[in-house]
Amino acid sequence: MPGNRLYLSDKQREGPRMNAAIVASNLSKKFGQFTAVNGISFEIGQGECFGFLGPNGAGKTTTVRMIHCVSPVSSGTINVFGETAGLENRKIKAMTGVIPQEINLDSGLTVAENLLVFSRFFDIPGNEAKKKVAELLAFVELEAKKNSRIDELSTGMKRRLLVARALLNKPRLIIADEPTTGLDPQARHLIWQRLRLLASQGTTLILTTQYMEEAEQLCNRLVVMDEGRILKHGSPRQLVSDEIGKEVVEIRIDKAQDEMLINLAAGCSCGHERAGDTLYFYCSEGHDLVKKVIDLGLPNVRNRPATLEDVFLKLTGRSLIE
Amino acid sequence: MNLSYRIFYVLVRNIISYKRFILPTFAVSLGQPLFYLVTFGIGMGAYMGYVGGKPYLNFLVPGVLISSVMLSSTFECLYDTFVKMVHERLYDSLIATPVSAEDVVAGDIAWGAFRGLLSGVLMLVVALFMGVHPASVASALLIVAIMAFVGVLFSSLAMIVTSFAPNFDFFNYYTELIITPMLFFSGVFFPLDKFPQWLKVFALFLPLTHAVNISRAVFSGEAVPGLWWSLLILVVMEAAAFVIGIRLMKRRLIT
Repeated sequence: MPGNRLYLSDKQREGPRMNAAIVASNLSKKFGQFTAVNGISFEIGQGECFGFLGPNGAGKTTTVRMIHCVSPVSSGTINVFGETAGLENRKIKAMTGVIPQEINLDSGLTVAENLLVFSRFFDIPGNEAKKKVAELLAFVELEAKKNSRIDELSTGMKRRLLVARALLNKPRLIIADEPTTGLDPQARHLIWQRLRLLASQGTTLILTTQYMEEAEQLCNRLVVMDEGRILKHGSPRQLVSDEIGKEVVEIRIDKAQDEMLINLAAGCSCGHERAGDTLYFYCSEGHDLVKKVIDLGLPNVRNRPATLEDVFLKLTGRSLIE
Repeated sequence: MNLSYRIFYVLVRNIISYKRFILPTFAVSLGQPLFYLVTFGIGMGAYMGYVGGKPYLNFLVPGVLISSVMLSSTFECLYDTFVKMVHERLYDSLIATPVSAEDVVAGDIAWGAFRGLLSGVLMLVVALFMGVHPASVASALLIVAIMAFVGVLFSSLAMIVTSFAPNFDFFNYYTELIITPMLFFSGVFFPLDKFPQWLKVFALFLPLTHAVNISRAVFSGEAVPGLWWSLLILVVMEAAAFVIGIRLMKRRLIT
């Protein structure tokens, strides 16, 4: 029905297929006998914010390191804005900004020197670099610290400086590898705002994270990875509704009661999962189930909206990953 | 070898960073060679008298100049490079830019050579104050060029060691078992002609022997036997060490 905007399919909702910024096909990375990334394929559109989620060791960082050409691919291919990783590494790096997971600022230099020296690496001429550095220090609210040494900065300031450093070359692609690890909420929100602003200006953004809230705040689309493979992909909302539903009912109770509760929930069309001391029901609507459970007078019952975290835990397992 | 003009940017980074440490490192790089000049030159020189028809100090200075280059370049590309690579993860941030891993390592080799050159020039100034000077302005300039060249050689050799090093302690093997002994087997402090034949042959395998040989010839402006051989051997060693050092470091940086 042309012109009817009420009934858009999921495909239409995403809009017309965007020009791909990054195309990876059958990508693998082996370290000796260990396979860190195992034949994954994905496409990232221009201007999209694309997330890689997964537990430690899932292969997220390895994947993004291959995208920005600091780690050679073992097999498969990656194209970044039409350039092939491994062949045109300098070109790809010249248009990419990286916010690394580890704080690797140059401790031998001051805040401003860090940015000035780095802009040299991108062949930015001196005058232009000075202007850009002043502008970026303002952007991350570090003007007052421009002559400070790196070890005088708080973790939040260091992370903001990493953001500024990643923007020196006006990148078409920004790779943020767990950019808010170890930050307080204020600093975290500041970084999210800056990243959203960049995305709204058309920069393609790749984010790896373990914080589901971060992914929900920033990503248009994401993949959940585990053990080097992509388990699921989609928009955060779509993943939640496909994998979990709308609501979750958590009941902290002894395992012996599981059968009784599952029978009780039979009419409510909820999926269920036991993890540790808690029984989870994934429902399109939790109200009916909660009413029934309340009649039992159980002490630890919680009904809440389903989140990306539920998807993550369902897909990658609720047990501890070492 | 994926080398480019960006080597220069890495060198500039090091020079800017160095500003803050310049005085303490001057003291350190002067320390050991100065100690050799004073103890050997003045203390032992009193007993040695003349070597090859010249005061002992004139024999000693060209050797100590080159030794100070060797020590500074070596330490720079062992400890400082290791800190930048492992502790500060500086190299990781550099190779995420258009600077290649080869550029980074070559830039640090150039930096190590520069530090060696600085130490050598400082020692040359000290020697001038002690009344020992090169034969001519030309030989002084040539000495400086040779110091830079020898700096690249020992920086590259140190890079090879750093590419394997699991931690700081590892460097002790290299400095205590190779660098320090080399000082005494390369004709820095006394001529090698009283050594038994097998030790003389052994000394020919040491890069410092050849570096000192050339330095002495240039400093005095008088030819020494085997000068061109020394130069050729040094060039070959340097080219090999440079290529191998960069390859091995790249293997460690790019995984």
